[in-house]
Amino acid sequence: MSMEFHDDYPQYETMYQHDEAHGKQIRSKLWKVFWLLLAITLVELVVGYQATSWGLLGGTFLKFFFISLTLVKAGGIVLVFMHLIDETKFLRYTILLPYAVFILYLIFIILVEGTYCGYPHNRTSLDKNYKIQQIVLRNHHMQPIPAELKEGVTEKEIIAAEKQAEENAASAGTHEE
Amino acid sequence: MSHAVEVDEKQAWSGGQSPFRISYGKMMMWFFLVSDALTFSGLLCAYGFIRHKYESVWPVAENVFTHFPFITAHIPLAYVGLMTFILIMSSVTMVLAVEAGHRNDRKGVTIWLFLTIIGGFMFVGSQAWEWYHFIEGTATGAMRQVWDIDQGKYVTKLIHGANMTYNEYGVPQFANFFFFITGFHGFHVFSGVMINCVIFINVLIGTYEKRGHYEMIEKVGLYWHFVDLVWVFVFTFFYLL
Repeated sequence: MSMEFHDDYPQYETMYQHDEAHGKQIRSKLWKVFWLLLAITLVELVVGYQATSWGLLGGTFLKFFFISLTLVKAGGIVLVFMHLIDETKFLRYTILLPYAVFILYLIFIILVEGTYCGYPHNRTSLDKNYKIQQIVLRNHHMQPIPAELKEGVTEKEIIAAEKQAEENAASAGTHEE
Repeated sequence: MSHAVEVDEKQAWSGGQSPFRISYGKMMMWFFLVSDALTFSGLLCAYGFIRHKYESVWPVAENVFTHFPFITAHIPLAYVGLMTFILIMSSVTMVLAVEAGHRNDRKGVTIWLFLTIIGGFMFVGSQAWEWYHFIEGTATGAMRQVWDIDQGKYVTKLIHGANMTYNEYGVPQFANFFFFITGFHGFHVFSGVMINCVIFINVLIGTYEKRGHYEMIEKVGLYWHFVDLVWVFVFTFFYLL
């Protein structure tokens, strides 16, 4: 059996080399992408900081907004900084297609199943405990601890204390009006 | 850029050349990054699953990460914004080192790679600081229901900070995923800095000058940009959403 060896492969290592004039062009492109990434990050931070006061927190709009900006940033990094846009079509698809197939499906199935598990009738005793914890935590954790909540109180007492605090807040609100 | 040379599809796979028109080392780095990115995707998807399950009791990151070095003020997201800036900055210095490598500019590679390493160390240090404050918690603390193993039931206790079993700020799963995913990412950053250091020493002693090309910078550059890429997603899903 005869075997064919290829000792005359192209020099892929030096294929991407360029001269100073071309380098200047590339550098200006890279800095543009950098400013774009920075601008997007600043916008994200401002929106994230203001999300509560603008009433967007936890909303669908905010999720889509952040995820699309993230994908733009990811595209900038992968295509320009990692030079994927300069690679051949074969390599681009080899790298990007696994995500289109596996990760999109994983995200789909996880959103469906994650929401399903969240239905009230499906809650376990563990979930109930988290609910109780959340009642305690609902007011900001930086606020002083209510006097009713001492170490060793039971779940019932916590709920009762919370109810009392809510009623107090409600009656205080009516007095102001 | 002009080196996007498409290959004749019929000729590409008939041997004698790389169908991807890429060297072996770079292709293997890409394949490693594909598998590594799938790992991170799996972790982030698991995080999304648990977060959806406990949506009503999930802590808001804005109320957790509010510290900033040398300032006692309450400024949410500022510190993580700075960390993101450091990492994006080190990413751009890395790509400039790669560009200098394409011109066989040893001095340029040395400077930009050095700045990249500094950025990497700054980021790892920032993450350590962030972890410290998350573990330490607030002076006020919060009343939490924690499992008492002796009594065999949940008891209410005053909790400061977070660890793997309890979390001052909300459900313990938040801390579990935070420690695991940012820890895994931080370990990648740390490895990246170490690899960059090795390559930096090689640049200093002129290994790539002798070799005639700086492709090794491109390979470590791919890894470094990948680390930045992962942070972009971690930043969005842990801090913003």
